[in-house]
Amino acid sequence: MAIAESTITTEEDQLTGVRERPVPTTAAVRPAATPGEVVLDVHDLATYFYTYDGVVHALEGVSFRVRKGETVGLVGETGCGKSVTAFSITRLISDPPGRIVHGTIRYQGANLLWGLDREAKFKPIKNSKMVKVSRKFRRIRAANERMRAVRGRGISMIFQEPQQAMNPVFTIWDQLGEALYLHRGIELLDSLLAATPDDPEVGPALDAFVEAARPRNAEQARDAARRVAMAVQVPSFETELLQTLRQASVETDFDRPRLNSMLKRFRLTPLQRSWLRRERRRLELDRETCDIYLDEMRDGHLHRARKAAVRSQRLPNSLRRFPLRLWGINRHVQKPVKRELYWQSVRLLEGVRIANPAQVARGYPHELSGGMLQRVMIAMALSTDPPLLLADEPTTALDVTIQAQILDLMNDLKTRVGTAIMLITHDLAVIAEVADRVCVMYAGQIVENAPVRELFEAPLHPYTQGLIASIPRVDRPEKALFSIPGSVPNLIYPPAGCRFHPRCPQAMPVCREVRPPVTDEGNGHQVACHLYHGKTVEQ
Amino acid sequence: MEGGTNGSQVVVSTYNLRKYFPVRGGLFSSHIADVKAVDGVTFDIREGETVGLVGESGCGKTTVGRLMLRLIEPSSGHTYYRPPADVVQKLETDYARLRDMPLEGDNGTPESSPEATAALRELDELATSHSLYRKSHKEMLALRSKLQIVFQDPFSSLSPRMLVRDILAEPLEVHHIGNRRERYQRVAELIQQVGLNPDHVWRFPHEFSGGQRQRLAIARALALRPEFIVLDEPTSALDVSVQAQILNILKQLQGEFHLAYLFISHHLSVVRAISDRVVVMYLGKVAEKADTHDLFVRPLHPYTQALLSAIPIPDPTLHRERIVLSGDVPSPVAPPPGCRFHTRCPAVMPVCSKVEPPLLEVRPRHWVACHLYPQGIDRASEAAPTLAAGSPPMLAGAGS
Repeated sequence: MAIAESTITTEEDQLTGVRERPVPTTAAVRPAATPGEVVLDVHDLATYFYTYDGVVHALEGVSFRVRKGETVGLVGETGCGKSVTAFSITRLISDPPGRIVHGTIRYQGANLLWGLDREAKFKPIKNSKMVKVSRKFRRIRAANERMRAVRGRGISMIFQEPQQAMNPVFTIWDQLGEALYLHRGIELLDSLLAATPDDPEVGPALDAFVEAARPRNAEQARDAARRVAMAVQVPSFETELLQTLRQASVETDFDRPRLNSMLKRFRLTPLQRSWLRRERRRLELDRETCDIYLDEMRDGHLHRARKAAVRSQRLPNSLRRFPLRLWGINRHVQKPVKRELYWQSVRLLEGVRIANPAQVARGYPHELSGGMLQRVMIAMALSTDPPLLLADEPTTALDVTIQAQILDLMNDLKTRVGTAIMLITHDLAVIAEVADRVCVMYAGQIVENAPVRELFEAPLHPYTQGLIASIPRVDRPEKALFSIPGSVPNLIYPPAGCRFHPRCPQAMPVCREVRPPVTDEGNGHQVACHLYHGKTVEQ
Repeated sequence: MEGGTNGSQVVVSTYNLRKYFPVRGGLFSSHIADVKAVDGVTFDIREGETVGLVGESGCGKTTVGRLMLRLIEPSSGHTYYRPPADVVQKLETDYARLRDMPLEGDNGTPESSPEATAALRELDELATSHSLYRKSHKEMLALRSKLQIVFQDPFSSLSPRMLVRDILAEPLEVHHIGNRRERYQRVAELIQQVGLNPDHVWRFPHEFSGGQRQRLAIARALALRPEFIVLDEPTSALDVSVQAQILNILKQLQGEFHLAYLFISHHLSVVRAISDRVVVMYLGKVAEKADTHDLFVRPLHPYTQALLSAIPIPDPTLHRERIVLSGDVPSPVAPPPGCRFHTRCPAVMPVCSKVEPPLLEVRPRHWVACHLYPQGIDRASEAAPTLAAGSPPMLAGAGS
């Protein structure tokens, strides 16, 4: 592969992302995404697991960037550290045994690993391969608290096994609603407080809906429902009307009294209204706290005064100080919120094309198939329109037909909201379909990082070449399958030098001793291999 | 029974296989419904041939594999192991004759003609004498050495308490083959055949990676020199690089020992890489069966077309139209009436929800169960030019 000198990108370009990068002329099918702002910048990340057998070097010097509106694929074999990378970014590594040892993770400028070096001390044990880790739990708790500002609202995650990620004792809408309330609570309460069930336009719109509902004219009913929802100023009411219409038997009269009773949930009692206002204030303070946390991580120092100011206004998260402590009052004041959460959950399920969402929302996780649960997970992850989505093998357990549906959904989100997606998978075919840029991981390190077309047309690293050659192709069956000899190394004793050298067909003496630097080979193609001698990239 | 053009012998053939699992519930756990897991599946496998069985999860692929080994008993239907030529002949003619008559419901007995009743009775007699499901326990034990299986999950199919040597020697022990020394010699031979080191026999399964364990499972299946192996998603738990190793080993062993494989998988690219013929199942029924190349280049059933178009292709330069099927697979407890695919079919017609399409040979060695092809492919291409024109765009040029 020829190195195009003109297209070498400097580190500066990538950091600022202002200057247009030279676009390879071959890009004809997929428009090359113009470099947007960097949403996620992972630099020299190392995560170890301290086990009784020794220290597992699961990640060692992982660096990559994800830009706005870009899909970055992370591929590699089982146990190469793909999921550990995602869990490190959201700081969900189970600790103990795991710990992020060093590195920086910048999410929109905020350093998620701020204060990492003060969270634990590492002391090697004499005559042993083990390390004593003394953790400072106060600091770890503080870091966890700060991560609240990022998780969900900033970085959403789709987990690999939806059966394990969902809570079996709560219904689907309980769980969707909880995520919604935590991250979109203020907007939700606002819309409830601003609802206008007695607006003069509501009456005629409802009449139109009754007209359309009687002969079951789906098209007109949809229009009418939208108009009603606009008049009431609660978008989820449209879903409620249409779903109720769907579930109602043909004989049921869809008359005004019934619709009026449905509108009742927006007529708040003074007690409910005052509770909603109070709840809104509480959520507002919480959001302010989160903003302060983000600022702290961005500026690298504590904002003690600001936090104290917020804390002084703090309201307790209960009704204990509420004027009335009567039996059932809790239920009464929360009812409008709960119903709104239910219908918004149904709306989310509609968005991920689940048939019969109103019934699915009331069900429990075990009642759904793997594909449906995965879609529920996606609905939950997308409910906050996050700037960054980490999808950890979202389609691995699914059939091809469902996989196609889900990949379409994720692409749709990318174009609609401009979400940056980090897609973790071991299936290169999926990567080829949806990713813009690919990072190939091997044994805890990124060995190659390139735009997707570049990677499939001219893979540089011998590992990537082997990986691509070993995929069975449905469109080119004649080719004999290539297989990489050997298996993934034990990461307690990773091979010295290049970690791939024991399996590499082109291994040289130098590979055994020196870890190859990451070099830039043009066209945004970076590789860590001694075979290539491009400009070394600062890692 | 497909008319065999090549001379090689049929190893295993199934005829109209059905398996209904009862659903119990209500008062006194009475029988309230059936899960129609497999509902009339017919195909055969020849020496040295691989038949791929594909479909979405829950369509009954695995059940067919288990039925063919008699790991579970069918509700009706037969499987024959190395059926004599005259039986094949008989079944073929009977099948052809029965196919021309209106098959009704589950018993499929048109009372109209006495001839048909006689034919059916004859078929039943043949079945009694040759079907795998009528063999006694003793006969079955002898047969089992010829029929083997490799399971999907290599982490649960090997006993964690046994040495690899004992795992591989166990089938030989069960069938009283050789003395201890000869058995261990055979184990050493086997482990080299699947590309592992002879020293590995002294290890336990947990010391191996997924790919190595799957090799062990294959070695165990090979121990008794079988003629037919059911491969139940053998690579779905493995990485692509390891998957390629396993597929290569399977191919190599097939060439060496002339094995017949039933390769069950939901991964169509893998099926294309290894199979000679493919059977596509949907909700317990065969939707389409054909030679691999034929099926992938010119899929006829709308379901097959949708499946093929949904496969991601590892080539970012390729762009194609996808047929995205809406919704999920319906419940096999109450499958839709008529064609079972009509609820999701992009080319649905009024007749589809009423009449169940029979499996017809619309082109030589290409069977389809779809109303789009009532009389064979030539008529059909006029009737429904959009779908019958063959392949989805992506595969039009790819196969050649």
